Amino acid sequence: MSSADAEHREDEEAPLAGDDEDTGAQVAPIVRLEEVAVTTGEEDEDAILDLKAKLYRFDKDGNQWKERGAGTVKLLKHKKTGKVRLVMRQSKTLKICANHLVLPKMTVQEHAGNEKSSVWHATDFADGELKEELFCIRFASIENNRLFMEKFQEVAESLSTEEENEDATKAAGLLENLSVEERKTKEKAEVEAPAAATSGTVKEDAPAEEKVEEKAEGKVPAAAEEEKKDT
Amino acid sequence: MALPNQQTVDYPSFKLVIVGDGGTGKTTFVKRHLTGEFEKKYEPTIGVEVHPLDFFTNCGKIRFYCWDTAGQEKFGGLRDGYYIHGQCAIIMFDVTARLTYKNVPTWHRDLCRVCENIPIVLCGNKVDVKNRQVKAKQVTFHRKKNLQYYEISAKSNYNFEKPFLYLARKLAGDPNLHFVESPALAPPEVHIDLAAQQQHEAELAAAASQPLPDDDDDTFE
Repeated sequence: MSSADAEHREDEEAPLAGDDEDTGAQVAPIVRLEEVAVTTGEEDEDAILDLKAKLYRFDKDGNQWKERGAGTVKLLKHKKTGKVRLVMRQSKTLKICANHLVLPKMTVQEHAGNEKSSVWHATDFADGELKEELFCIRFASIENNRLFMEKFQEVAESLSTEEENEDATKAAGLLENLSVEERKTKEKAEVEAPAAATSGTVKEDAPAEEKVEEKAEGKVPAAAEEEKKDT
Repeated sequence: MALPNQQTVDYPSFKLVIVGDGGTGKTTFVKRHLTGEFEKKYEPTIGVEVHPLDFFTNCGKIRFYCWDTAGQEKFGGLRDGYYIHGQCAIIMFDVTARLTYKNVPTWHRDLCRVCENIPIVLCGNKVDVKNRQVKAKQVTFHRKKNLQYYEISAKSNYNFEKPFLYLARKLAGDPNLHFVESPALAPPEVHIDLAAQQQHEAELAAAASQPLPDDDDDTFE
């Protein structure tokens, strides 16, 4: 008898089949909206990790972890710059609950007494402004948490070595620029034309970065403008 | 429909009125959408709290100004004064407290006196709780009054996006409207000096020893 009761109860508690049935009244729409192009902002990146998880942020005032969202966490590597960032989106609403660069020397560690979750610090940009956050992420399995920690750490460490190499290259580059500058002044004294040719080498990596940011931000106002027309 | 001290936006925005008995989870539901957190502590709302809540859809960004009104009569403030110019509404009840469902017709009547012909969603909250008092089959009010009904759980996030999605579709007259990824802008480069990093590490070590709120939380308290 008790098992039959339990079954019955479950039937009742299960979501109804016609859950999405529209029983609402016919109401006149008050705005007309046109379809707009959707930009995820992730178009120029490859996902090197993509897992379901639940994210928490530390509330320092209350000295407690608070839920931030449940959905998909990704590590995204930029196709051109090679920069890696962590982006997490809430499922269903697809809003961003975390968005920060993975930086050299960043460390992720296991959450005390919980092999399914880990913690780290980041300067987060989820709300469009930089905020210091302590994050904790929880996965459905120990394996996924390990995978996350390994990947995160791997990226941070590879960036650390890159940074060291970069420092060396930069130093070398500076020396070279110095000699270029010298030459330039000499040439300038004679003719002005070659100056344009030398300027390209000085800020080689800067334009690429600018372009990416322009692209991500540029599309938003365009979409907003389209909406404006309709309201 | 923004308050005078609230910034207006250049994309469509709607005044959403949220009503229902005290303790049914109106504020918790709004907070869940705003910050992701699930607030267990009950602090009755006094009067009204207005929160802007943005969604990204295939038809662009939209905003609901959520007028989270007091459910408790003694804190009611202006009551139906808050409903003026409401463009859509949510009536919330608690499936674990029968009385909150019994009061739905009163909330509906008061709302419709001020706001005629607006899309309304009836939400039965706390469906994650094992022994509910109002079963899905017993909820019939929405059929009589032509409301949309959703069983939701602010705790488990079950159907938590549905009320907003439904209202957005009705307000735009587009049954195919859906939520899309909001653009993940490139985070600016930051440099952390050694002193700051050491401080973060110390804070992190302290935080790591704090338990997660719902770590072993399989049952409703």
